[in-house]
Amino acid sequence: MIVVLGLSHHTSPVELRERFAFGEARVPAVLQLLRDEGIADEAVILSTCNRVELYVSTPLESAKAFEELKQFLVKCHNYRDPLTDEIYTLNEPQSVYHLFKVACGLDSMVLGETEILGQLKKAYDLALQHRHTGPRLNKAFQRAFNVAKHVRTETSIQRGSISVGSVAVELAEKIFSSLENRHVMVIGAGDTSEKTARALLSRGARSIVVANRSFDRAQALAAEFGGRAVNFDDWSNEFGQVDIVISSTAAPHHILTRAKLEPLMKLRKNRPLLLVDIAVPRDIDPEVNIMPNVYLYNIDDLQAIAEDYLQQRKEEIARCEKIIIEKAKPLVGNIGANLPGTTVSVPCPVFRDSKSKGSA
Amino acid sequence: MWFTNQDPHLDRHFFLLAVIIYGISTIYSVFLWRKGFRQDNWINYFLLLVAFGLHTAAIMLRGFDLKHCPVNNLYEATTFIAWTIVAAYLAFGLWARLRFLGAFASPVLFAMGVFALMPELDRHAATPQFSGAPTSLHAALALLAFGAFGLAAVAGVMFLTQEHNLKFHKMRAMLSLLPPIQKLEVITGRLVLAGFALLTVSLALGGDIAEKENKPLFNDPKVPWAILLWAIYLGLLVSRWRFAQSGRRFAVGVIAVFAFLALTFWGTTLLSPLHHP
Repeated sequence: MIVVLGLSHHTSPVELRERFAFGEARVPAVLQLLRDEGIADEAVILSTCNRVELYVSTPLESAKAFEELKQFLVKCHNYRDPLTDEIYTLNEPQSVYHLFKVACGLDSMVLGETEILGQLKKAYDLALQHRHTGPRLNKAFQRAFNVAKHVRTETSIQRGSISVGSVAVELAEKIFSSLENRHVMVIGAGDTSEKTARALLSRGARSIVVANRSFDRAQALAAEFGGRAVNFDDWSNEFGQVDIVISSTAAPHHILTRAKLEPLMKLRKNRPLLLVDIAVPRDIDPEVNIMPNVYLYNIDDLQAIAEDYLQQRKEEIARCEKIIIEKAKPLVGNIGANLPGTTVSVPCPVFRDSKSKGSA
Repeated sequence: MWFTNQDPHLDRHFFLLAVIIYGISTIYSVFLWRKGFRQDNWINYFLLLVAFGLHTAAIMLRGFDLKHCPVNNLYEATTFIAWTIVAAYLAFGLWARLRFLGAFASPVLFAMGVFALMPELDRHAATPQFSGAPTSLHAALALLAFGAFGLAAVAGVMFLTQEHNLKFHKMRAMLSLLPPIQKLEVITGRLVLAGFALLTVSLALGGDIAEKENKPLFNDPKVPWAILLWAIYLGLLVSRWRFAQSGRRFAVGVIAVFAFLALTFWGTTLLSPLHHP
């Protein structure tokens, strides 16, 4: 019988999750202990920023197994505070369904993200290498990876970008033939503009020019990106070369207006210009969007796109669950063809990079 | 044999049926446009496949009837070009990412089909209208040039669609399978350039043929029409590369000029003693 015991972003705050997290180096010893104590025949520990879960094939009766596992987890971390509903337990077939949902990213904080699959594979490989898995968990995990692949190809659960940075990258890909060799300018070195610039660089953008009121900060950021810093008052001199501008200054008025942009566009000769204005109050006069070859998106536009994508992902959940139930049949039979009623709650999709660490 | 053409107009009936299905596909394409080409569409592909079957039957019947390749007059040339377009689409459409192109192909095929079915284009002259190597080359290059202009207009429509969606922040822009607008702009420009080069050679050949055969050139309405078309496309190209005309204006110009070409081609051909003796 496969059971799951754990805590995740659905049931516990980060302060608690970090108390129960397992470092990778410690996992083999803990798995060995679990087996030595007779709680598990086979075991895998998944420990990420957003969840700590024990997947166990146990010879014990389920209630007894859950009690033992909970005590084991508490003892492992020397945790003494009271626990209420933070730790959840799942028996077969719900435990298998849960494993499949986790693999597909349906239980993740960023719905449909793929990083969790890599983390799950890593956790399984670690257990496998140290011979803590056996026929039941091997079969369940291999099937989970297979289901995740199937869901990814057959549904749109991973389609689209649900963070501001990745939406900006996708927009750029809709405008420019290729992001390779594109010049990016960051005006105002904020956190979101930094993430957006980083996402563009990861997709092949060539160089980054940073203009910031604090020149030191501009230089630091430019050095991080392998770009160059310019004086804040000189940013418009770069407009002949740049293709994408990310603006997030704290200026109380528009720093880029139609009157200012019109002569600059003449230098660009037909080349499109993507302006991403993530400042509030806005840095760029909305009127510039009327100009030919200029595409202006502000923070609301980007968030609206991210939310639309998220909505589409949510609409795909039912299809994913159908696939999961179908694929789980050889493991759990037809019983309980209902998935665990946990889990999809997506707090704030925007400002969260779907590829950022710890989104699972 | 099954393809024996008992009814002398049987091939045209088959072609008419194909054009009707191209029309249905065009109407269906409007819905696909409104949805923003979010995913590949098998219905449109299937419609064009059926039309292709009927279209192929029409060409085969005509070919077996004539006992040679059926490209002798404007009807046959137009149906043949349309057939190659739909065949190319069906081949490309096997790749899911390109299946949306059917929404752009079907209006072109429908327009070509309607044009081909116009009266007087399917005349069986004693000798084929396109005979002799220079005349055939002149006609082939002109038709290829018009094909390139047609494709440029299609790319221009794609550009305007996607550009509008991006400008007005429509979600369709993100979900659409259309290529990036910069690529569409480049494709439009290159197709116009290719069409212009082909038309230039074709016109030069046409002038040469007329001179050798001592035929008066400028009394023929098709000649000033072709020169006007050539000049307009030259103007479009010069304004694009010399005066940095915006992609939007260029696309609108390409579509407008091709609409003029399509609307006046049949009339000028019928009025032309050189092209419609």
